[in-house]
Amino acid sequence: MTRIALKGLWARRRRLVGSFAAVFLGVAFLAGALVLGDTMNASIGRFFGQAYAGTDASVRGATNVSDAPTGERGTIDAGVVDRVRRVPGVATAEPVISGSGQLLGRDGRAIAVLGPRTAGNWLTDPRLNPYHVVQGRAPRADDEVVVNRATAIKGRLRVGDLTAVLTPQRVPVRVVGIARFGDEDGFGGTSFTAFTLAGARRYVARTPDRVSGVSVRAASGVSQGELVRRLRGVLPAGTEAVTGRALSREGMNAVTKGFLTMFRAFLLAFAGIALLVGTLGIHNTFAITVAQRSRESALLRAVGASRRQVLASVITEALVLGLTASVAGVFGGLGFAALLEEVFTAMGAALPVGGLVVTTVTVAVAVAAGVVVTLLSCLLPAVRASRTPPVAALRETEAERPGVSRGRAVGGGALTAAGVALLAGSVAAGDSMAAAGAGAVACVAGMVVLGPVAARPAGALLGVPLRGVTGALARRSTAREPRRVAGAATALMVGIGVVTLLTVLAASARTSVRDTVARSFGGDLVITTGSSIGGGFDPRLAGDVARLPQVRAAAGLGTGGARIDGRAVRVAYADPAALARMLDLGSAASLAPGRLAVSRTVARAHGWRTGTPLTVLFADGARRTLTVGGTYEPGGPAGDYLMPRADWLAHDPQPQDTTVLIALRPGVGTTEGERAVTTAARPYAAPDVRTRADYVEAQASGVNSLLTLVYVMLALAIVIALLGIANTLSLSVHERARELGLLRAVGATRGQIRSMIRGESLIVAVFGTAGGLGIGLLPGWALARAATGGTFAVPAGRLVVIAVIGALAGVLAALRPARRAGRMDILRAVAE
Amino acid sequence: MTGERSAAARAVGATKVYGSGAAEVRAIDDVTIAFDAGRFTAIMGPSGAGKSTLMHCVAGLDTLSSGQVFVGDVELGSLSDRQLTVLRRERIGFVFQSFNLLPALDAEENITLPLTLAGTRPDRAWIDAVVTTVGLGDRLSHRPAELSGGQRQRVAVARALASRPQIIFADEPTGNLDSRTGAEILTFLREAVDELGQTIVMVTHDPVAAAYADAAVFLADGRVRDRVEGPTARTVLDRMSAFEAETMGRSR
Ligand SMILES: Nc1ncnc2c1ncn2[C@@H]1O[C@H](COP(=O)(O)OP(=O)(O)O)[C@@H](O)[C@H]1O
Ligand SMILES: [Mg+2]
Repeated sequence: MTRIALKGLWARRRRLVGSFAAVFLGVAFLAGALVLGDTMNASIGRFFGQAYAGTDASVRGATNVSDAPTGERGTIDAGVVDRVRRVPGVATAEPVISGSGQLLGRDGRAIAVLGPRTAGNWLTDPRLNPYHVVQGRAPRADDEVVVNRATAIKGRLRVGDLTAVLTPQRVPVRVVGIARFGDEDGFGGTSFTAFTLAGARRYVARTPDRVSGVSVRAASGVSQGELVRRLRGVLPAGTEAVTGRALSREGMNAVTKGFLTMFRAFLLAFAGIALLVGTLGIHNTFAITVAQRSRESALLRAVGASRRQVLASVITEALVLGLTASVAGVFGGLGFAALLEEVFTAMGAALPVGGLVVTTVTVAVAVAAGVVVTLLSCLLPAVRASRTPPVAALRETEAERPGVSRGRAVGGGALTAAGVALLAGSVAAGDSMAAAGAGAVACVAGMVVLGPVAARPAGALLGVPLRGVTGALARRSTAREPRRVAGAATALMVGIGVVTLLTVLAASARTSVRDTVARSFGGDLVITTGSSIGGGFDPRLAGDVARLPQVRAAAGLGTGGARIDGRAVRVAYADPAALARMLDLGSAASLAPGRLAVSRTVARAHGWRTGTPLTVLFADGARRTLTVGGTYEPGGPAGDYLMPRADWLAHDPQPQDTTVLIALRPGVGTTEGERAVTTAARPYAAPDVRTRADYVEAQASGVNSLLTLVYVMLALAIVIALLGIANTLSLSVHERARELGLLRAVGATRGQIRSMIRGESLIVAVFGTAGGLGIGLLPGWALARAATGGTFAVPAGRLVVIAVIGALAGVLAALRPARRAGRMDILRAVAE
Repeated sequence: MTGERSAAARAVGATKVYGSGAAEVRAIDDVTIAFDAGRFTAIMGPSGAGKSTLMHCVAGLDTLSSGQVFVGDVELGSLSDRQLTVLRRERIGFVFQSFNLLPALDAEENITLPLTLAGTRPDRAWIDAVVTTVGLGDRLSHRPAELSGGQRQRVAVARALASRPQIIFADEPTGNLDSRTGAEILTFLREAVDELGQTIVMVTHDPVAAAYADAAVFLADGRVRDRVEGPTARTVLDRMSAFEAETMGRSR
């Protein structure tokens, strides 16, 4: 029986190309995602291993105000260095100073990199220092710096160049050396500018008594654990010692737990969608091939094959297909991982690269997923095949295809209705996420079930614009096969549905942000740090701008990390009275010193009200109790927590502003004001000056770059759906060889045949696209409202583009089947 | 063998070779024949004689290896695929043994299909006349699956007549029918010739069917062996027995 199955498979191999491709692509995506994740994991591990290779222990502040162990910590007393040096078993101990430092490029603007922009001291012990100079020399004077190579290249700086570093004060420096980090030009996307210890003290730490930490190398024979144990004995309260190994593990975990986990989840989600779409397509293909073989199955049964044997033969076929396609997919995944790496790098994400890491787990998971998906898709058709009665072999004409069952219509209708009711209920009940989610699932399931019921009338309706006799024939053919049409369309429906849903969510989020910002921000201009992270500008900029004759008011705003009631949060700090002149701060406008304002969302979530005392833990280890002094609208530049500047400055040695909000005097035009502010900002390395409209738009557009990535991922799902449609059409062309031949015999031209197949494809694609828009929009309505707190935006332009792409997919999918149908041999119709 | 009447279609030295080398089969071999306009010709012969091949080639469904085929004055070998298609659509009607109809279309739509494909408006009166002749009045809106075998063949005959073709080719049109239903179909074909002036070429191996024709042409091993004017079942059967004896004698 297995031999018969394999022979059958071989005989039908051309018809299985589409299914093979669908499994292959899905598995390739999955394997690619896994490989890329592992590869990045390994490179990140190598990175941190390198960074701390010569460090046996590190002493640092014990307070961590972020949830990542590598997060912001306060400085420690510089006297610790000498204490550490006196500990037996310490070979070398060097103070480490690190902070924010933006190096200015040749153009006088801060060099934009993808990671944090840091400055610190050049460690003189080459084993403690992960960087090494590759050009020039180490710094000797306070105003000499070494720069990591990637940053130097980006800023077009060379050894000997004069430039400046913003810490955030402007420090004129001379580049005396270019350094590399191990084998790389930098540590990820981080920019690093290294002063001498004295220079770093003067410009970064800005005090001789504080350092960020101490790096320690052990004398030979002293283990890392032993070293740390000894260090602990001499450390003052508020400081801690950790081993070099722990340090690199912490660093690695910070990346893998944070970014990498998200990144993996993101890729796997799309691999899941790709596989789901593939499954739907393969299922349809199997359903058709099994139906086409019903005579064959019946003959097998008639000559004595048991049901089980017929079932087994179909399953064997699926198994072989799934296995070969999955194994091929794993290899495809390697290429795909390399491609993804390119795509992400091209899109601006700095990924540590290295040789691709392929683990047994990846291979096993990818192959298993491919095989399981293929088996699942063939299960129902296989059972159906095994139920073929032996007499079917003897039937003269093919049995009328089973119609669409009543149960399907009723069940699908009920599911959809329940889903819509839940969605409407969610919106009515103040945008509940739980109800919206449940409604979305019910709605999608209901519409998938309803597909075949809707296919016949929808096909007739959608076919109306198709002209002439070929249009009519296309319409008829699709009406005759509602299940097939729905089956082929479902894959596209799911793909388009996800695209639509995400588009609607993104547009709603965008609109929501834009509305909030526009509503709360009353100024005319904004100075921002642009898109780069790590680093802001000298807080004196706000004062300079406020003194301009064109400016009525200007308020600077900085942010930093702190723990409030134990939770790590971002806190904004500013002069509330100045800020309130441009920003609607509600009851927080007259925030008194020693008080904290919170957004209404946060207040509601924690049950805080004015007067609630909150414990605030600062990075320097200080713990203070601040009471809630007011609440304001969420979503604006002040974020969720706002503190008076003076209260913050007491705990932050290196404060910097990230935003300056500006209101112009009446009568001053925006252009004129912008020019004046830009001039004033020039000594501050020319941060971005934006008009109100630009600023509002920029705040809202953060969503967009992510959406682009999502579109790239989903393009694959659409391609797989397209394969499904093409496959269904090919099978149907093959099956209708006699019909097509007859049409040709009685006078249909090749062109007419082709246009008929194109028409069928178009009907399927438009049906799928319309359904996809439906399952994207309807749940999107409730989900977007629930996610944004009541905003629902329909990006009409984008939806039109999606619809056009869906229809185009139909035309593309028809290309090959239509060509084959046009070439169909007339005599095949006539020959018995 | 050409009659005095004008020929609706004719083949000159028509040869069709399948395969090559040892596997070479001359399905028809140097066949020269004319099908007179307004007459009903039967092509007879044992299975594998080349009857279908001859018909396919004359009807423009297949191409010759050598020789020429004319429909009216048009030489088919010089036509492009498109021109051939248009010729079939406008000047030739077909009735096949089985699978004559598109399952998605109802009887009436199947009948007018060649006209619809050509984008011409059917001549209502003519269609009505044809439909009445073949007796399908009350079955026009039925799908092929809802029709009996005999009814399906009647629809096929009606379709062949619908475009008033210059010539109709029928390949074993009664092959799948019982004798009574078969007789009905043959009667319609006969009437089409007598009353509507049609030209019909019918492939059959059934002597009774051949008796409906004005002339019977005998094919064996791809060659025309004989021709009988005004055949009856009796004369045809006699000829066939004679051929068989001859063939067997040869192979002995
Ligand atoms: N497509 C083909 N390929 C090879 N040989 C063929 C093909 N079609 C027909 N033949 C051969 O040509 C001969 C004539 O066939 P056909 O015209 O179908 O005979 P008939 O219709 O008289 O039974 C037979 O020997 C048949 O095997
Ligand atoms: Mg034949």
